[in-house]
Amino acid sequence: MKQSPYLAKAQLEMQPGSISNIGFLGDDKRNLQDILNEDAKTVAHLGVTHAQVADVMEKVMHEGKKAFGNPVLYKDFLQVTVESSRGKMPCPFGHPGMYPKEVVCVTNQKTNESMCWTALSIHMIRQHGFYQGKGSSFRIEPEKVVRVLEIVIDK
Amino acid sequence: MQILITVAVISTITVLLAAILTIAERYILNYGTCVIDINDDKKLEVKGGGSLLSTLNEQGIFIPSACGGRGSCGLCKVAVLSGGGPLLPTEKPYLAAEELDKNIRLSCQVKVRENIKIQIPKALFAIKSYNVTVQKIEDLTHDIKTLYLKLADEQIMDFKAGQYIQIKTPRYAKVKEEVYRAYSIASTPSHKDEIQVIIRKVPQGICTTYVFDYLKQGDTITLNGPYGDFYLRDTQKEVICIAGGSGLAPIKSILHQMAEQGIHRKTTFFFGCVSKQDLYYQAEMQHFEKTLPDFQFVPALSAPKPEDNWQGETGLITEVADRYIKDGANTEAYLCGSPGMVDACVSVLETKGMPKESIFYDKF
Repeated sequence: MKQSPYLAKAQLEMQPGSISNIGFLGDDKRNLQDILNEDAKTVAHLGVTHAQVADVMEKVMHEGKKAFGNPVLYKDFLQVTVESSRGKMPCPFGHPGMYPKEVVCVTNQKTNESMCWTALSIHMIRQHGFYQGKGSSFRIEPEKVVRVLEIVIDK
Repeated sequence: MQILITVAVISTITVLLAAILTIAERYILNYGTCVIDINDDKKLEVKGGGSLLSTLNEQGIFIPSACGGRGSCGLCKVAVLSGGGPLLPTEKPYLAAEELDKNIRLSCQVKVRENIKIQIPKALFAIKSYNVTVQKIEDLTHDIKTLYLKLADEQIMDFKAGQYIQIKTPRYAKVKEEVYRAYSIASTPSHKDEIQVIIRKVPQGICTTYVFDYLKQGDTITLNGPYGDFYLRDTQKEVICIAGGSGLAPIKSILHQMAEQGIHRKTTFFFGCVSKQDLYYQAEMQHFEKTLPDFQFVPALSAPKPEDNWQGETGLITEVADRYIKDGANTEAYLCGSPGMVDACVSVLETKGMPKESIFYDKF
């Protein structure tokens, strides 16, 4: 599908070496509009919204940050570690604001499944429905984040 | 079908017009020479067309910026008293009402297309660009290094202990733009031709990947500075320092200053790490305990491993500071670390009666 000049510009910012060393797209060759569309379909199929996913990720990060780099147990089943580094990153979509370089890593202790994301990942999911390209180090597979964080939305 | 064709035609025309405008701006429009009047004191004749931020940068005037001119950090504020065009929607989210009243603008968004009159703090004139040689790269922990940098040819940098510099990362591998990243100075201000910075590796970071994987002893790099208002205040109050990770850097510089200038204020430095493998510069801190008459170094491990055989303080650094500090009323605090750590420390210090205006910090 064709994409707007706005998304084309954002996709350029997502290339390796622009905002981060490895970029946001991994080895995904699709255009950004297609990446967004496919993930939006998956998220809808899972019965959640981008905002609901981002809210849970943010809550987990918030709890993890209280331990200054130490692992903490959240809700009795999630081991959470948040590592902070100096500096902040801009959003590749040109959204105002800078996002701290914080990496959140979680392990669901019931299933031993792990995943990591950044403070910027949460913003990009909430505001832009962007879960990063396939193969990106911080790609969030919608099915996986719902499964690992056990996101259940009361209807 | 007709709707789709109409949308396609309009989109194509829009893209073509945008392309023509971009090409025209780059190759046809010529703004000639413009004058930037700074503080009614200094007049710079510059080539028009660029952003105010980059144009000033080319003239050796460095406005602090963290996003490379993308308009997303909101740091590069200057007062534009005349010229500069209308306020852009990209600037508005960063400007408070009182700043708008004072004609504050984001210098990365203001284009120099006519004569411009601006006001900037005088301290910015002290910020200069330096070429430095990497004298040594020292491993401190598995993910922290110290860079020893030597300024070229009789250059000197006047800085206050606690301030920071910005290191320029050149184009390398897939990195196609030069970027600047901020690092606190760890060395003593009395050695004006040598700069030490402590750098912790950021996963996939552009600058730290360059430093850890590409930079070698003998290489030349560019930096600018000094920046920042995190420095030791000239009072007689007791000093509390709290840091984590590479946040030790500005505290080390402040301790050098205290040792060299005979500042003998009672000082306690709480340094938080996860386990012993994250601790560094212990010998240097023990040396300060000998040279500074009333200095105590309190390293604390939040999760020591059994093999660490750790006999020192344990727990989060906030818990350790809470145990040690009895009354904060007549003390000053200097904090450097992650935003979460700094915010939590501020809360603890306030419960100890430390006034907000006596708490200084450098958040990552």
